[in-house]
Amino acid sequence: MDAAIDIRVADLRVNFGLPRDSLSGVNLGVAKGEFVALIGASGCGKTTLLNVMAGLVPAAGGSAIIRNAPPIAGRRDICYILARDALLPWRTVLRNVEYGLEVSGVARKEREQTALLYIEKVGLKAYRDFFPSRLSQGMRQRASLARAFAVGRSVYLMDEPFSALDSQTKLMLHDQLLGLWESCHATVVFVTHDIGEAITLADRVIVMAKAGTGVAGEISIDIPRPRSAEALQADSRYHDLYRRIWARLKASTE
Amino acid sequence: MFLALWQGAVGLGLADPAFVSSPASVVAALWKLAGDGDLGPNLLTTLIEIMIAFAMSVVFGIASALVLDRSDWANRILSPFLTAFNSMPRIALGPLFILWFGIGIASKVVLAFSLGYFIMLLSTLGGLKNVDRDLLLMSRLFGASELRLFRDVRLPWALPGIFAGLRLSLIYCSAGAVIGEMIAAQSGLGLLVQSFSGRFDVAGVMAVILVVAFLVMSLTALMDLAERRLLAWSKGSTDVPG
Repeated sequence: MDAAIDIRVADLRVNFGLPRDSLSGVNLGVAKGEFVALIGASGCGKTTLLNVMAGLVPAAGGSAIIRNAPPIAGRRDICYILARDALLPWRTVLRNVEYGLEVSGVARKEREQTALLYIEKVGLKAYRDFFPSRLSQGMRQRASLARAFAVGRSVYLMDEPFSALDSQTKLMLHDQLLGLWESCHATVVFVTHDIGEAITLADRVIVMAKAGTGVAGEISIDIPRPRSAEALQADSRYHDLYRRIWARLKASTE
Repeated sequence: MFLALWQGAVGLGLADPAFVSSPASVVAALWKLAGDGDLGPNLLTTLIEIMIAFAMSVVFGIASALVLDRSDWANRILSPFLTAFNSMPRIALGPLFILWFGIGIASKVVLAFSLGYFIMLLSTLGGLKNVDRDLLLMSRLFGASELRLFRDVRLPWALPGIFAGLRLSLIYCSAGAVIGEMIAAQSGLGLLVQSFSGRFDVAGVMAVILVVAFLVMSLTALMDLAERRLLAWSKGSTDVPG
């Protein structure tokens, strides 16, 4: 039973060395291969929780265990996707997508092949030799996804990567992400403030309390896969879940 | 345009050729220099001095900038000294350098280096400032070591600043070398300037200065080529329509 849980957070407390707790009493578990969305009002600590899992923020109390080991920044089995694409401006799309592989020590030939494969998966083949400054925001996020999935890690932590995009582009990126994820089935924790996004992508949505006091509720998304972001917009199950999560979210702010 | 005005002024008697010479005379002086065989060895000496001083300025300047950028305590201890040295007019120390390092190439290299080093240090430091934190974070989270962070993120970020420093450093190394030679030397373009100057041969002085200018322009052109290739990615990135 234990072996199936990739991420275990127990009684986590975070205060950044300050007297006031940013997070307290956080308890949650993520099963291997599960896609979990963390949602909550601003200030609920969802990004802080993600950063603790990534090893960027220390725990003041309690624990966070990822795949039976404590979090450390730069672990080779965890991949963190930032809110901003963070593409290196002096590298072409190809060399950027190669970057994760390069740092992981993959040989040149193999690196280039894998990178090209993922560039094609996200539909940027025609732009492989472009510099990031010439790409739209949506294209840059696609390149960022390609870079992340090209390294094929066990755990993916994502911090609202699509929040800066317009709704049409977002739907397209949801499908891209689902496509990439469905072929590797990594364990994912995805932070967002967009309820629709959470429903489209996740197996389970965890609502965080606004006051930073931990999990306010969990809702299972029992829509079968493979999913289509566009098709879901017209699906009544999607809208039911939206109402339920919205109510839970509102309750979490009280 | 400028040359025409110059020649015209002298021809009409508006300007005294003893003071400003004329394009025609300068060209004649250049021809004579080239023909005499005086130019070659002196040019070589100056070129060597510039190249050594420049190379040292670049290597030590960039290395120091890296240390100061990464290490807080080094910065606090060394900064006051460096600022003090940089504030001194090193050209005025020229004669002292000759006294300490002799009349040969060494003293000119030291003088040129004392100018070029600080320029490389300051421009590299400037370039390293405010590296985009997201880029460093992304890199670190993929597993990059401190060395990798420097090579893949900090250095490319600082490159535009470094190139700006390279240009200035080259110019000041050249100035240092030539002026050092003007104070005391066994060989070099500055020595030629002094000897022409002593004979009030204005055309000769101008001719040598032109040679120095040409030398620096050629070296700068090489750097431009390198810059255009290495910084191709930033072309047009600060252009805004309208």
